[in-house]
Amino acid sequence: MEDLTLPKLLRKNVENYGEKRIAERVKKFGIWQSYTWKECYERVKYLCLGLVSLGLRRGDNVSILGENKPEWIWAELAVQAAGGVAVGIFTDCTATEVKYFLEHSDSKFIVVDDQEQVDKLLQIKEELPLLKKVIYWDPKGMWGYDYQLLKSLEQVMQLGVAYENANPQFFDLSIDKGRGRDIAIICYTSGTTGNPKGAMLRHKALISNALVWAEIDEWNNMDQYVSFVPPAWITEQALGITGHLLSGIQVNFPEDTETVQENIREIGPHVIFLGPRLWENIVRTIQAKIFDTTVIWRSLYRLFLPIGKRRAKSRFAKKRAGYLWNFLYLIADWVIFRPLKDQVGLLRIRCGYTAGSAVSPEIFYYFHAIGVNIKQLYGGSEAGLVTLHRNEEIKSETSGQVMSNVEVQISDEGEIMVKGPNIFSGYYKDPESFSEKVQNGWYKTGDFGYLNEEKHLVVIDRMDDLRRLKGGQKFSPQYNEVRLRFCPYIRDAFVVGREYEDYVVAIINIDLENVGRWAESKRIPYTTFSGLSQKVEVLELIKNYICKVNETLPEWMQVKRFVNLHKEFDPDESELTRTRKLRRVFVEEKYEDLLNALYSEQEKFSVDETITYRDGKRSRFKTTIRIVGL
Amino acid sequence: MNTEAILKASKLRLEFGGITVLFQISMEVEREEILAIIGPNGAGKTSLLNCINGFYRPQQGDIFFKGINITELSPHKIAKLGVSRTFQNIELYSGLSTLDNLMAARHIHMRRGFLSACLFFGPSQNEEINNRKLVEELIDFLEITSVRHKIVDTLPYGVKKRVELGRALAAEPSMLILDEPTAGMNVEEKEDMARFILDIFELKRIPIVIVEHDMDIVMDICDRIVVLDFGVKIAEGSPTEIKDNPKVITAYLGADEGELD
Repeated sequence: MEDLTLPKLLRKNVENYGEKRIAERVKKFGIWQSYTWKECYERVKYLCLGLVSLGLRRGDNVSILGENKPEWIWAELAVQAAGGVAVGIFTDCTATEVKYFLEHSDSKFIVVDDQEQVDKLLQIKEELPLLKKVIYWDPKGMWGYDYQLLKSLEQVMQLGVAYENANPQFFDLSIDKGRGRDIAIICYTSGTTGNPKGAMLRHKALISNALVWAEIDEWNNMDQYVSFVPPAWITEQALGITGHLLSGIQVNFPEDTETVQENIREIGPHVIFLGPRLWENIVRTIQAKIFDTTVIWRSLYRLFLPIGKRRAKSRFAKKRAGYLWNFLYLIADWVIFRPLKDQVGLLRIRCGYTAGSAVSPEIFYYFHAIGVNIKQLYGGSEAGLVTLHRNEEIKSETSGQVMSNVEVQISDEGEIMVKGPNIFSGYYKDPESFSEKVQNGWYKTGDFGYLNEEKHLVVIDRMDDLRRLKGGQKFSPQYNEVRLRFCPYIRDAFVVGREYEDYVVAIINIDLENVGRWAESKRIPYTTFSGLSQKVEVLELIKNYICKVNETLPEWMQVKRFVNLHKEFDPDESELTRTRKLRRVFVEEKYEDLLNALYSEQEKFSVDETITYRDGKRSRFKTTIRIVGL
Repeated sequence: MNTEAILKASKLRLEFGGITVLFQISMEVEREEILAIIGPNGAGKTSLLNCINGFYRPQQGDIFFKGINITELSPHKIAKLGVSRTFQNIELYSGLSTLDNLMAARHIHMRRGFLSACLFFGPSQNEEINNRKLVEELIDFLEITSVRHKIVDTLPYGVKKRVELGRALAAEPSMLILDEPTAGMNVEEKEDMARFILDIFELKRIPIVIVEHDMDIVMDICDRIVVLDFGVKIAEGSPTEIKDNPKVITAYLGADEGELD
């Protein structure tokens, strides 16, 4: 167990499954082409021997730069089988960034995808004396290229065949020499300050991580997984590569980044990892399709959805739904939910993962209502997988419970600290940062959070982005704002806490379209944005939602007073960036008077300001806005 | 290798009623070149292409393709000889998918008869598989994988242009004619198209004749340029020669020679 490595796992799979089971599948030329474990192993072998004959030695680093394709896995395993370390690089890196990664990691070889990446390397090749060869797997567009530095994957594998004839035992011996404590991969972390740092992970860290995860979620060799999380990222390393080797999950690679949704439908995966935005996209797709379907289906959907929601609710509360509801759900499932899930390829999902706690509770709730088991997790390159939702313990606002092989401690400042076999074993060529980040085996994540009563971890924000209150408590404006924006009636929220005040206040921008529609349905007349925002009913609507958000937050983080701003935050007035992010410092200065009023006992605030229109005209604007306490 | 020109047109004259569209046009297309035909609106560029692929019959003159006189041949026979083209205004089967549009272009290479196709198994199936393989390679080449099964009518303009290029290539032509391949595109789409044209040339080594208004693209990718004005060939030569040719400048700007430079 101690000395397991990823190549050893591959060898075991070949012994067990050989040509009987599919390891990887990739859609090419419109057809799913599959590779059995045997085929996968052969490719890894010849690639490894080819690299060795080109001069790869134990302990050397090899970078890999490409989209999700089986070649990525083969290259990584080939490098590790030769005793080397695989360094993942993201495909959207510029030539200068690629140069930094190659230089910093002292890579001797780089395995790349296609012409796009090769061109980047041709730009910087003069500045990389260490680099011996650039190996590409997709020759498209490079028919005219004639460079000493380039070799195709095929050519390298041919070298491997020749090398094997001369040294028939080499590959097996080389795998045998591998130890669990050897470094398997280097994951570069996007440093918010300074250059990216290369976190080194041992084989045993990766394996121990996946072992616990696989046990909890019962991964097995019948599971299908669709891979499109960048493999340079730890998530894909843990799930798509280590999980693949450990549990025999079959990994499927989409044809193209644009065909992912279509390909998910064709595969019908059991396990998948999607970012919050993609989960939201799926909900939107479903809603649009429901809107376009026939009246019968639409009414069935409307009739059955509440049944699903009801069941999800009792599941979250860990209560029994009762026989009647279970029976109704059974009908709903067969009549509407199953066909619905089939349409978007989620019919067989057993574990749908997401991270970053940015999926809104509504979306979470929705998926559980139609029977898609989505779960949150928390982890990172340095920490590995730290927490995960267990199937019977789903809570949309948390990141789940701590993994059995990991210990979590919250420091006095509220920083999450992690200890266990999962964590990384150093930054490449940067021992100082490592000793700064890891003390007595505890890794300081730099994230602020807490463990709630049910031992679920709640991650709030980066430590650096926190603000302090008078009592010394820390809170995260962004965490609050993200949750407020989940409300369809709130377009933007600006949450403020001051070091010399006790509580948190908020300036809210209502969503004109949604609130307007709501007002129409309630027969509330209004004329302008500012008029609508100050309606008693609208204030009540927003107040109720804020109360709901407050319930999920610790006491000191709760919004105590708020206003509905009479206007929308606007990039033209420099309140937002062009990508609609708040310019905090500017907005705080601009609305200083209003914030002072929020922190006083006042119930009304008179606005008197000059507005600049797009054409440059100015006019004076006077109104009164109400301040609401909770 | 045969170094003789693949296409030779001599003294073409085309008239519609009293209007002379092409007058005494002679031109050649070499075996390995990208040739641009340029000229102001109404110069006769598209008419010249239509003569080459058989839509129009010139009243005078001859066109030889690979040594065969094709002046009197019908368009489908010319296509079978290896001339493929795209159109200024996209001409696809708008109700069919991308894949079917490309497969349809393969018909000139299909040998199996109706009965055999009805039975399908055996030789017909093999033929279908081989054709599909070739078409799929093109789909991959032109990066239209995500629209493979989409009805072409629903596709954006730039993608349709690419599908049309794919259909022209699916016929495995020995000469490719592109009528305004980048018309109506934004800068990025134009760059993509230019790259595809160069890639095709590099990969297939077939002559490509393009009619194009974007001078930057013409100057960048073409080996030789033929300039038409009111149905008359006014210049021919390399991009640098054409750029400085006073006749061309006059035709485009309508200015006196002396006023320029």
